[in-house]
Amino acid sequence: MFRYIRRRMLGTIPTLLIVITFVFFFVRLIPGDPARLVAGEQATQADVEVVRVRLGLDKPLGMQYVAYITGLLHGDLGMSLRTKRPVTTEIAGRFGNTMKLALVTLAWSTIAGVLFGVWSGRHRGRWQDYLGMTVSVSGISIPSFWLGFLLIMLFSVKLRWLPTTGASSWKCFILPSVTLGVNIAAIIARFTRSSIIEAFKEDYVRTARAKGLKENVVTWKHAFRNSMVSVITVVGLRFGFLLGGSVVAEAVFAFPGLGTLLIESVNYRDYPAIQSLILIFSLQFLIINMVVDILYAALNPEIKFG
Amino acid sequence: MITVQQTIDSNPVEVVDKVSKVRTPFTDMIRKFLKQKNAVVALIFILFLVFLSFFGDSLISHQINEYDYSAILLGPSKAHPFGTDEFGRDLFSRIISGTKISLAVGLSAVTVGALCGTILGLLGGYYRGIVDAIIMRFADTLFAFPGIILAIAIVAILGSGLANVVIAVAVFSTPTFARLVRGETLALRTSVFVQAARNLGASDARIIFRHILPGAIPDIIVQYTMSIGSSILTAASLSFLGMGAQPPTPEWGLMLANGRNYIMMAPHVTIFPGLAILFTVLSFNIFGDGLRDALDPKLTD
Repeated sequence: MFRYIRRRMLGTIPTLLIVITFVFFFVRLIPGDPARLVAGEQATQADVEVVRVRLGLDKPLGMQYVAYITGLLHGDLGMSLRTKRPVTTEIAGRFGNTMKLALVTLAWSTIAGVLFGVWSGRHRGRWQDYLGMTVSVSGISIPSFWLGFLLIMLFSVKLRWLPTTGASSWKCFILPSVTLGVNIAAIIARFTRSSIIEAFKEDYVRTARAKGLKENVVTWKHAFRNSMVSVITVVGLRFGFLLGGSVVAEAVFAFPGLGTLLIESVNYRDYPAIQSLILIFSLQFLIINMVVDILYAALNPEIKFG
Repeated sequence: MITVQQTIDSNPVEVVDKVSKVRTPFTDMIRKFLKQKNAVVALIFILFLVFLSFFGDSLISHQINEYDYSAILLGPSKAHPFGTDEFGRDLFSRIISGTKISLAVGLSAVTVGALCGTILGLLGGYYRGIVDAIIMRFADTLFAFPGIILAIAIVAILGSGLANVVIAVAVFSTPTFARLVRGETLALRTSVFVQAARNLGASDARIIFRHILPGAIPDIIVQYTMSIGSSILTAASLSFLGMGAQPPTPEWGLMLANGRNYIMMAPHVTIFPGLAILFTVLSFNIFGDGLRDALDPKLTD
């Protein structure tokens, strides 16, 4: 098991290095002179040269790359062009909000998705199944920004129950979380349904029924327990997407998270910030996927370690 | 013994019936597909959208950029079925006209992604070794950016605009196709018919395109259909975020973004473009589900 964990962690390193390289070249792929971009449109040629030396852009590419990696290892992500503060400070201020939003969303959408999926699966082919699957295919197809506005119209404008922006109280999290989670819940529901349908075909379910166990017990204690491993995997992978996918939901509610920071940075052409945010999003995603893989291996008795 | 049993069992009428209705995998698929009524309805709706893309502009009563400051933010009425926006433009006409933009962006992005992914997957799966390692590492790297982040990164490099959105979404959907086709190729390259073709002296190119690719086609078609819905959604999201279509293009995501400033007094400016996106994406997803069920050999009836 520990050997597996070690191997899985080591296996992430090459991908991580390629991602870092991609992000390093990211700024250099943008048409135009990066030093000019940093210095601003109105800067004189002399100013641009000063910036070039300050950022080390006059050095050969290889040395720039080494300097970039060294900076990363020291937790230095550069300065934001927009706020003139270290990018790490900018990210630190927003990270908690996005994480909180993702965790709350993951919690409710998992519960809703599993309940919905099991309910559809155990009534396979009947109206409950059609209703459940119609709702979940709609949940996958609905534009989340549109859903967000509908929620604002209803709960903020009409009923005046919930705030439309910010992250100051728990109430601020409800609407963004619903906007973000409907899609996840729908995906989990579809997946749970198909795995529970598979489980219902197994012999142990027939045995459990033959013993005269109640259908609820058969569903939850036998069928669902056995499909739980794969459901956990899907939920884990969705968590990775949640952190990145919150961009749109955050934009609708002007939620002070990493997503809105990314959009503000793109609109301002704040390349150090964009670069760092893309790296952070990808890093989170890689770590989560690694943890999910390890969890899956730990939970699944069919996988042997060698 | 067995032959006798079979002769007795096959009633002559049934034999005639079987001959007149030739059953091939293709007709089987069509039959299975037609049984799923919601998928058929979705297909009809998609055909309607295609029709609107070609002929919509000649059917609409208002110019898409016909400003009318005496009729701004009007609710739905007889003259304006979906109301008007902040410049008094007829929303119904703009939404109809936007159909071709969403379809074109979604279709072209997925087509490019599917072509690139299929070629990469075929090469990786067939030649394996170093080619495969490089291609799969590339796919892994693209997979390391969650969801829309990769698309935003690409648009940040290339600049905003619809053409760049197409490129971003195409890159975004390439690795999925590469993985899918690679898996299928790996399974097929050792199959008996591929071995036979190789023994007959067929070239690599012939084996890949004539023998392996057809085997991967059903999976590619299903993935292709499923990707169109999500690509239209991603493209609309990018336009919504201000990174895609630029005003005054009648793009649905952009129209919705403009509507957000008038959400209090004119909610219809937001509601109708959203409905257009929802129904379009929904119909592609339901159609994709239906195709998958019809093509999946594991699901026999």
